Amino acid sequence: MATAEALAEKKKVEGINSDYEEKFGFHDPETGYAYKAPKGLNREIVEEISNYKNEPEWMREFRLKAYETFESRPTPQWGGDLDQIDFNDIHYFVRASETNSRDWSEVPEDIKNTFDRLGIPEAERKFLSGVGAQYESEVVYHQVNEKLEAQGVIFTDMDTALREHEDLLREYWATIIPPNDNKLAALNSAVWSGGSFVYVPAGVKVEMPLQAYFRINTENMGQFERTLIIAEEGSDVHYIEGCTAPVYSSDSLHSAVVEIVAKKDARVRYTTVQNWSQNVFNLVTKRAIAHEGATMEWVDCNLGSKLTMKYPSIYLLGERAHGEILSIAFAGAGQHQDAGGKIIHAAPKTTSSIFSKSISKDGGRSTYRGLLEVADGATETRSKVVCDALLLDEDSRSDTYPTIRIDENDADMGHEATVSKVGDDMLFYLQSRGLNEEDASKMIVNGFIEPVTKELPMEYAVELNRLIELQMEGSIG
Amino acid sequence: MSTEETTTVTVCPATELGPGERVIIEHEGEPIAVFNAGGELFAIEDRCSHDDGPLAEGEWYPADCTVECPRHGSIFDLRTGKPKTLPAFQPVRTFKVGITDENITLEV
Repeated sequence: MATAEALAEKKKVEGINSDYEEKFGFHDPETGYAYKAPKGLNREIVEEISNYKNEPEWMREFRLKAYETFESRPTPQWGGDLDQIDFNDIHYFVRASETNSRDWSEVPEDIKNTFDRLGIPEAERKFLSGVGAQYESEVVYHQVNEKLEAQGVIFTDMDTALREHEDLLREYWATIIPPNDNKLAALNSAVWSGGSFVYVPAGVKVEMPLQAYFRINTENMGQFERTLIIAEEGSDVHYIEGCTAPVYSSDSLHSAVVEIVAKKDARVRYTTVQNWSQNVFNLVTKRAIAHEGATMEWVDCNLGSKLTMKYPSIYLLGERAHGEILSIAFAGAGQHQDAGGKIIHAAPKTTSSIFSKSISKDGGRSTYRGLLEVADGATETRSKVVCDALLLDEDSRSDTYPTIRIDENDADMGHEATVSKVGDDMLFYLQSRGLNEEDASKMIVNGFIEPVTKELPMEYAVELNRLIELQMEGSIG
Repeated sequence: MSTEETTTVTVCPATELGPGERVIIEHEGEPIAVFNAGGELFAIEDRCSHDDGPLAEGEWYPADCTVECPRHGSIFDLRTGKPKTLPAFQPVRTFKVGITDENITLEV
């Protein structure tokens, strides 16, 4: 790209710190790409994706039916402004490489360099049990610890899972999030590609996290990965996903579907560090079910994107199941983070908590949107919802929409919400201890999000703090 | 043992509901859907347990004995009333259905 164009684009992307472009916002040339679908979506494109992947007939039919649902449903008019999305100005399928390798050295050079710059191979060596790396529509690298494989753990990309574990996949596929759930879930179901498939056998504890990393490179790209995690009885797994994209002046779309099944006494933690560039619409449906005695935890950090609409949910279907959602949102200039979580108590003695923290600055907008439901018969349940918003200036905005529906008399439910501003007195106090104004402000924000960062593995907590500090730079004066 | 009393309701002549067909009737203000799945009859309340909207006008699959909620896609088993997919998680009511004097009848 010409330097003048690059500068012009840089100016158009408001509010983002300059470091993003350098660190995450670069893009590779598209030389050597195996396939790139023309822009736009129609029945032929959907069929082409399925044919290209050589899928079984039931999946082709699933896609086509979902496409019809997508077409027939109106664009949601709540949350963020989705009318800005031109669904015909998107490439729905881009295959960058013909290979999905288990060896970094076999990954095409440009792509490997990208993941090197993002630090993924290094992270794999240091502290992960397995890594998946998705570039554009498909996974280009996947590896899992051999010991885990020997214990029967499956961690692979969804396309491979459909080929190699079709029966297992089909048993759970779209049972947690049917295509008709919402328009964007229908879109994902029609054009899904990539994502992770995780199966943890009964009693197996995966001690170090599994991580998937999602990268969009092409301009006007749609990434529609689909993830399914099945944790059998008494198993334990922590899955982490991260995502970035180049900075472009026109928009891209990321719309994922994530389904999780935590069986009796299993524990699943799903951590997201979302750091898309500010030209990405991030519209994701995430839902988990927790059976008897199971624990499901979503740790959901939203730092990037132009608009995020995402409300991870947990259905507590078995007695004593526990659900936890930790949500953090950072909305800078030009960003709208419409995030939150949903917990449905459908069985007795279930417990849950939702902690949401949002920070808005430079005119950014953050929204907490949540649901807490206690169904009739779900006796002796306990739940707590806390949503705190921090506004860093007069131009920023925070909204809270906490829906609470209790159909059972024997339930204990608490709700707290605060909106606070970084006040002059707080800054003055810290400055009196020798900090300058910017550092004082960073310290307040770090203290504010600390309940979330302490739940992250150390490497990610450090990264999250660093990202937030970068976002904070220049926020004072 | 249930102490609730039941009433027999006539739906329609048996000849009017062929295999693969469904009919929705209203009994005392409550809509009830009757399905003919390959000759076997099933009846459920026409209300999705997820959001209380109408259920039976959604696509249905006689071979699987299921109906799909038209609004959010939960699939219900017509035999048991139980949802097979989220977002619904509670069953809908089912009714005994049979043929009496060449008419389809329900026990409500």
